[in-house]
Amino acid sequence: MPKKSKARMQTLSPRQQSSQKPLTPRRWRLKLVIGGAVLAVALGVGGLVRFLQQRDLTPRLQGTGDKHYTLGTAGAAVVIKEFSDYT
Amino acid sequence: MQRFEGQVQVVLYPFALNPTSEVATQAAWCAGEQGKFWEFHHMLYRRQELWNRLAAPLERLGEFAKDLNLDTAALKSCVESGRMQGRMQADKAYGQQLQVNSTPTMFINDNSDNRIVGTRSEGELVRLIRQELDRVQRSGQ
Repeated sequence: MPKKSKARMQTLSPRQQSSQKPLTPRRWRLKLVIGGAVLAVALGVGGLVRFLQQRDLTPRLQGTGDKHYTLGTAGAAVVIKEFSDYT
Repeated sequence: MQRFEGQVQVVLYPFALNPTSEVATQAAWCAGEQGKFWEFHHMLYRRQELWNRLAAPLERLGEFAKDLNLDTAALKSCVESGRMQGRMQADKAYGQQLQVNSTPTMFINDNSDNRIVGTRSEGELVRLIRQELDRVQRSGQ
């Protein structure tokens, strides 16, 4: 059996032999470009999600406050909305 | 609050995290119908240890109401009627929309970046309020 496999090793096609060669600078460049593109897309998606979350949050924070108990002056420069639990 | 008189307003959103707290929240609003919301609110915190582990705290809260000279029967029937349920659920839903998942959580001037989660020292709150007052003042100039 070991002899057989040795024989196979010797009969590798030229294409198979070339696949075992180290990566050429061109292929490295291609990998870097693809990696960079994937990273850019991931960062973009992350940024977009954060932007959409904030955009959604801000309008929802506005326009409430009626029917709630308040302390301090209405129309004050700083309005604090406090969510608290009694337990 | 007193040092910022006229400059700061706090809007309270009771955010009940469990059934016991739901009863207390409703009881506070029912006390509010008798004109004593804040008195009841403060009493709930002062006497927290006496009721916050009870599965059915209404009886105990009724005793607190008596100490505040409230109409206890009216308060209990107000809670039991479920009249305040809708209001409580609306506040809860609003908090959930804002991704409030622990208390206390505060928002300063409707700014989601000015979210304060957890208990803060008085000094830190004063610093944050001053910072916001400065920002408002600058943007108004």
